[in-house]
Amino acid sequence: MAQDTAVPKLDFVYWLDKAIKWGQSTTPESQKDVCLHLPQLQEFLHQVYETLKHTDSIVAIQQFPLIGQLLGRLCWNPFVMGYDESQKTLMCCLYCLYSSEPQNPVELKANSWIRSLLCHLLSSSKWESNEAETSTFISTLGYTSADYYCHLVKNMVFSLVAELRENQVNGLNMQGRVSGSRENAVSLFCVPLITLPDLTPLLETLLLYQGGAPKESLSSEFLEAVNDAFLKKKISLPESAVFSLWLRHLPSLEKATLHLLDQLISIQLNSLEEVACVIKDSLLPQAASHPAVFRIVNEIFKNVLLETGGTPEVLTIIQVFTQLFLQCHQNETKQHKFPLKAYFPYHHQPLVTALLRHPFELPTTHWSQHLKHISDMIKALVESTNISSLADLFEIWFLVARFGEWLDIAAEQLLKAPVEPDALLWLLAFYYCPQNENQQRTQTMVEAQAVYNRLMVLFSCTALSIKDLEAAVHVVTNAEQSHTQHLITHLLTNFLLFSSGGHMIAQEFIYHITEATDTNKEVRSLLIRTAYRINLNGEENQRTVKLLNELLQKLTLKV
Amino acid sequence: MEAVLEQVGQLPALLAVSRSALVRDWDPLTLDRALEWARYFQHLHDRFRSRPRLREALGRRLRRGQPSPLLGFPHLGRCPQLLGLALLENRALSPAACRRLLHSLLQPARVEADPEPRSLELLARRKAASRLLGLPRGPLRAPEGLEPQVRAEAQLLVSRLREEEEEEQEAKPAGEAAGRLAWLSGVLELLPQPRAFEVVAAALLLVRQGSGAEQARDRAQGGNSLGGNQASATGDDCSAGPLLSWLLGNLERFSAFCLFLPGSLLASLAGHYSQFSKPYLDLLTGWGSHLIYDPLQGQWVKSCLDKAGLSWEELRERFSCLCQGSALLRGQTQAALKLLKAQNGDFKVRGLSVWTDLLMEVEDLPGSRVNDI
Repeated sequence: MAQDTAVPKLDFVYWLDKAIKWGQSTTPESQKDVCLHLPQLQEFLHQVYETLKHTDSIVAIQQFPLIGQLLGRLCWNPFVMGYDESQKTLMCCLYCLYSSEPQNPVELKANSWIRSLLCHLLSSSKWESNEAETSTFISTLGYTSADYYCHLVKNMVFSLVAELRENQVNGLNMQGRVSGSRENAVSLFCVPLITLPDLTPLLETLLLYQGGAPKESLSSEFLEAVNDAFLKKKISLPESAVFSLWLRHLPSLEKATLHLLDQLISIQLNSLEEVACVIKDSLLPQAASHPAVFRIVNEIFKNVLLETGGTPEVLTIIQVFTQLFLQCHQNETKQHKFPLKAYFPYHHQPLVTALLRHPFELPTTHWSQHLKHISDMIKALVESTNISSLADLFEIWFLVARFGEWLDIAAEQLLKAPVEPDALLWLLAFYYCPQNENQQRTQTMVEAQAVYNRLMVLFSCTALSIKDLEAAVHVVTNAEQSHTQHLITHLLTNFLLFSSGGHMIAQEFIYHITEATDTNKEVRSLLIRTAYRINLNGEENQRTVKLLNELLQKLTLKV
Repeated sequence: MEAVLEQVGQLPALLAVSRSALVRDWDPLTLDRALEWARYFQHLHDRFRSRPRLREALGRRLRRGQPSPLLGFPHLGRCPQLLGLALLENRALSPAACRRLLHSLLQPARVEADPEPRSLELLARRKAASRLLGLPRGPLRAPEGLEPQVRAEAQLLVSRLREEEEEEQEAKPAGEAAGRLAWLSGVLELLPQPRAFEVVAAALLLVRQGSGAEQARDRAQGGNSLGGNQASATGDDCSAGPLLSWLLGNLERFSAFCLFLPGSLLASLAGHYSQFSKPYLDLLTGWGSHLIYDPLQGQWVKSCLDKAGLSWEELRERFSCLCQGSALLRGQTQAALKLLKAQNGDFKVRGLSVWTDLLMEVEDLPGSRVNDI
C-alpha cells in the first residue's frame, strides 16, 4: 500500500481477512481467536479513527478502499462490539465516513448504509426481523432501546447465574461427570464483556463455580482477562471471587504478585504506610492465608530477591508483606484457620515460632533475651553439619530476613540496652553476611565489634563531633566487603538516632557516610522502616522522631 | 414558572415532528437547537423530580390536549435519548443535519458518565452483550417461563404503569380508567398475541413477586432508574389492575391466554391474584366438562376435536400445578374438585366422572408442600 510516511501503516488486509474468518465459523477455536485479538484490534481501530479524524470522508474511502467492508463485518461480530471501547471507536469511524454533503449516488448510498448500520447498533435494526415488534412496543411505552437493553442484559445475567447455580447443585447430587462444557462456553462469551458493570454477578458466579470435575472447566482466556481487569482496577470483585481465581489459575497469581512488586518498585515510596496500603489493596496478603497461595508467593519473592541481588527495597517489601500477612491471619475469624507453623513447614519449628512472635507481644525488656534465643538457634543450625548446601543456607537466611523487624530491633537494642551484645551482633552479622566458607562472616564480626565498642563508649556523650567517629568512618570506607559496610552503616545510623549526642552531627555525618560508601538506598530503607515501627508503637522521644524525619527528607531529595 | 410550563408544553410537538417528514427542512443549527431543548428538558426533570407539586404541574401540562396518556413527567428525563434515537431512525433528515446528530450522539456534550440507562454510552455495548449472552443455548428455560426478553418488556410495561400511578394522584374519574385500559389494549396489540400473553403474565408476577427484590436492587444501584418513584403496596395493586382488567375483560382472550401458557405459570398467577384464580378454575371446569370417557382407549378424550380446549393430560397437569401452590390455593382447588365430584354423582370409581378421576390424581401427589418461591 502506498502510504504517507507520516501515517502509520494500517494493515486493512490482515484485519479484513480476520474479520471474514471470524464471521464464517462459530467454533470455540474461532471464538478464542477473536478474544485473543481483541486488544490489538481495538488499538488498530483507534489508529484508524485518529487517521480519519483529519481526513475528508471521500479521501478516506479512496485511501482505504477496504474500510467499508471491514467496519461492516466487524459490526456484526458481537465479540468485537462487546469489548471495552471498540464499539465506540468503530462508531466514531463510521461517523467520520459520513458525508454531510453527498455529491453523487455512491456517497448517498454510503450515507444510507452508515445510517442503517448505526440504527442496527443503537436502536432497531432493519436486518433483524424479530426486533421490529419489540421496538414499536417499547417506544409506544415511551422508552428507548437504552432502557430495554439495560434491563435485558441484567435479566440475562440473572438467568445465567441462576442456571449455573442450579447446575452446580445438580452436579453435586448426580453421580458421575458433569462435562463442564456449559460453564466453559459461558466463560468464553464473557471475555469481551468483563469490564461491563452489569456482568459482575456472573463473573462472581463463574469464579466461584465448583463443577466437581478435576480439570479446570473455565476457559483460560477468561481467567486471564478477569485477572488483568482486576489488576488494572477496571473491575471490582468480592475477595472470595479473587481468591478463587488465583487458586484455580496459577499464572494469574504469578502475574498478580509480579504486578504488585512492579508497582512498589517503580514508584519511590516515602513511607511504609504507603507500601502497606498498596500491598493490602492488592489482596495478596489476605489470599496468602491459603497455604498454596502463600507458598507460591513465597517462591516468587525468593526468585525476585535473587535476581535483583537482594536490593533493600525488595527486602523491605517482603518484610512488610509478611507483617501484613500475619495481621490478616490474626484477624481471620474463620473456623478452619491453618496454624502459622503450617506456612513454614520445612523450617526448624522452634525458630519459626520465635520469629513469629510479634515484638510488641513481649515487653521491651525481654527483647534482648528473645533475640539471643533466636541468634543461638540460627547459630546452631548454621554451624551444624546438616546444612550442606548453599540453598539450605539461603532458606534459613530468607526466613530470618523476612522478619526484618526483629533484625532492626536487634540493631537498636545493641545500642540502647546491650544485654547480650555478642549474640545480637552475631545475628546482624549473619543477616548481612550469611556465608562463612572463607571466614567472611567472622571477619565482618571482628570489624563490627571494634566499631561497636567505640560507639558504646560514645553513646552517652552529649557533645560529639565528627572527629570522634573518625575511626569508625575509616573502617567503613576502607572495608573490603560490602557486608561489613552495610552492617556498620546500620550501627552508625542507629547511633546517630538514639545516642545522646548523635543528633548534633547527624546531618553532616550521614551525608559523609552515604557519599563514601554509596549506601544511600540502604540507609533510606532503614530510616523508613524505623519510622514505620515508631509510628506503630508510638513510643519514642520527640527529638529522635524529628531527627529521623529530617534525615529522611534530606536523603529523599538526594535520590 | 409559566414560561417553563409553556416550554414543556412544546415537548409532544417536538417529539412528533422529530418522527415526521418535517425534519427534512432542518439544518444543522435547527438540529442543535432541538437537542439543546432535549437537554434542557432533562435538566428540568432532574431539578424537579423531588418536588411533587412542580412535577404534578409539569405532568399535567404535558398531558393537556393529548387524547391518551402518551407523555408524562418521566419522559422529560429521557428526552435526549428519545429525541436522538427518533431522529436517527428518521430517514427524512438531511445529511448535514444527520452528521451533526451523529456527532452529538457519539461525542456527547456532557462529560459526566451516566450509569443509568438514560445515556447512550453503554447502549451499543449492551446490545452486543445481549447477543453474546444469548448465544450459548442453555438446556433449561428460564424460571417460570420468564425469558429475559419477555421479562425486560414486562419490566418496562410495569414501570410505565407505575409512572402512570405516580402521575394520577388526583381523583380518578371513571373515564380515566377506561382510557387507560384502551391505551393498554392498544399497546399490547403491538405485540403478537402469544408474546403479549407472556409479557402480561410476567408483568403480573413482577408486580407481586419481584417488586420487593427489584426495588431493593434498584435502590442499591442508586435510585430507581426508571423514573425515581417508590411504588407502595397500593401502587402495586393499581399497576396490576389494568393488566387484570385487560386479561379478564374478554373471555375469548382469557381462554386463549390460559390455553397458551404453561400450567406452572398460571398456577403462580392464581396464587397471587384471587381475581385470577376464580375465573381460571371456572375455565378449567368448562374444559373438563367437555371430556368424555372412551372405554375402548381407556382414557378421557375431547368430545369435539375442533373446539379449543384441553386434553386430559393437560387438564391433569393444570390441576396438579394448582395443587402444588400455596396452601390456600391447594385448598380452593381441592374444594372445587370435591364439589364438582359430588355434583357429578359422587362416584368412587374411575372412568365415570372426570372430576372423580382428577381428584384421585391430585390427591396422589406427594403430600409435602412445595415451598412458595
